[in-house]
Amino acid sequence: MLMRILESAPSRYDFGLRLITLGRLDRAYDRLASHVQADTSVLDVGCGTGALTLRAARRGARVKAIDINAEMLEIARKKADAAGFDEEVEFVEAGVAELDAEASASYDAVISGLCFSELSPDEVRYGLAQIARILKPGGKLLLADEVRPPTPLKRLAHLLIRIPLVAITYLVTQQTTHAVDGLDREICDAGLESVSVRLSPLGSFAEFIARRALEAA
Amino acid sequence: MIDAGMTAGSGRTRFPPPARRSWGRLLDYVRIDVPQTLLRMLPFPCRTGLVKIGNPGRDAPVLLTCNFHLTRERVRRALAGMDAYLLVANSRGVNVWCAATGGLFTNHDVISVLKTSGIDRLVDHRRLILPQLAATGIEGRVVHEKTGWRTLWGPVDARDLPAFLNRGCEKTEAMGTVEFPLQQRLEMAAAWAFPISLVTLLVWPFWARGVLPLMALVWCLSLLIFLSFPLYRDRLDGKRKQVGFIFFDFGERGVPVVLWLLFMATLTVLAALGGAFSWGMVARWGLSAFVILLILGLDLTGSTPMFKSGLHEDRLLKIELDTDLCKGAGFCEKVCPTNVFEVDTDLRMASLPRAGQCVQCGACIVQCPFDALYLRSPEDEIVTPETIRRFKLNLLGHRKIAGPTAVTQAKR
Repeated sequence: MLMRILESAPSRYDFGLRLITLGRLDRAYDRLASHVQADTSVLDVGCGTGALTLRAARRGARVKAIDINAEMLEIARKKADAAGFDEEVEFVEAGVAELDAEASASYDAVISGLCFSELSPDEVRYGLAQIARILKPGGKLLLADEVRPPTPLKRLAHLLIRIPLVAITYLVTQQTTHAVDGLDREICDAGLESVSVRLSPLGSFAEFIARRALEAA
Repeated sequence: MIDAGMTAGSGRTRFPPPARRSWGRLLDYVRIDVPQTLLRMLPFPCRTGLVKIGNPGRDAPVLLTCNFHLTRERVRRALAGMDAYLLVANSRGVNVWCAATGGLFTNHDVISVLKTSGIDRLVDHRRLILPQLAATGIEGRVVHEKTGWRTLWGPVDARDLPAFLNRGCEKTEAMGTVEFPLQQRLEMAAAWAFPISLVTLLVWPFWARGVLPLMALVWCLSLLIFLSFPLYRDRLDGKRKQVGFIFFDFGERGVPVVLWLLFMATLTVLAALGGAFSWGMVARWGLSAFVILLILGLDLTGSTPMFKSGLHEDRLLKIELDTDLCKGAGFCEKVCPTNVFEVDTDLRMASLPRAGQCVQCGACIVQCPFDALYLRSPEDEIVTPETIRRFKLNLLGHRKIAGPTAVTQAKR
């Protein structure tokens, strides 16, 4: 079986993501996590190695973090234990399609970093609808992801920067990221109110803040 | 109803129907089969979701496959003329077996496509046919728990699907066993020859006239190695320690050395007969052929479905049965792609009369409801069913991160 080509090491994952996003990721996650309040209940969708999870835990929230990759979860769990958050954080191996198991209106915030770009359009729609359901009224969706730049010129400029980055990152970590298109529209279609969208200078990385309306039934 | 229609529609319109006319089909081969066979070692993802085949009704069979583009095409072609729904689940563009064994094709991917494709609203039954080679990654029990769908194992090869469906979803032994037939061997020869022949372009600046003959030599030797596979397969030893010795995949008798000597003899005789003999020529082509055979032999066992990769530590793991736990349920026999098991229904006990054929895919271990199977390493450590269900096989090379749960102390 020709499988070595697939070899990827989650332990190099963090480094790879930092490389491919040119360090933007840490600052974006810091900004998003600053919206998390102490003593609230938070769900991290697609937690990976726990970068956002731990930021939310540091702000004093109780976090449930889900991911479909058992190895990434294992790394995240180790990191959380080392940081002393083994009580506050719960890791569960589950995907976006398994969000229907969560109770309605049960989270103050849902956080997600570089997860939705890995999903199919069907999954994006399903996942956002579920998030809209499980958020408490007034609860926030805090989402950071690679997106398709808005204009052809920016797309070209982004492509020129991205090609060498993707090549290097793939060689070093066998890791890459994808861009998701139309996420802002999908968030609205799911019934969430957009609060703000922050785009990187080339429009290739976005931080979305949306919330479930207060009067929502 | 509107909702159901929309979901079905979004699945339907996404995929153009397979080409009916012969030139269209030819174009599909050129566009999909040729590049994806030549670059076989790279993933080729296609869109996930629902594909309608023919005119399926509410009792039409529902099948699932991976999102390796070539596989999806082949499943669709195999099902042409039938009425069925095909769910394409996310395997990251990798074929079913590699993805399932390497942890890229799991319960989550199956659950996701079942829940998000809208298939629930299109059929009345809840019976999903899975590819047998996905058995390392997918557990029917978990899928049923999360979705209500029951699963059963389809054939190993998509081309057996019509026969499988016509027999009422019953499998023959051949349908459940991997083979390495001529077509697959040709494909594998091309998959090796193409990238290596690209590498020969590197000699262009020094030896421009040599490039084309070198490429031809690469293709000939690759075809020779894979076409003659049945002649030497019994001599291959999947367990050999293969680092440090050049023709490691070939056991003691060194088939490539034989091939190389044959090639050199032919070349020398032909050159002598044609009056073009020179020691320089013999040395040049002798070295070239030697290097090409060396590269082609790098992972010969891993290029066949009969053996584990010779470069992989997992090949040294041994499958073992805990006879105290075995109840003879026969799940192992149903999912084993190399026909290792025999189940005695009277004694209610499985046995492994052909354990030597095991490729350490882990399918039987994952599927056994009594955790009666496990792998034992040469260091006498046990790799438990729990470990394999969570982390699959050690393709990621980092299973040790799982800590003490991964490898428990020797059982006996």
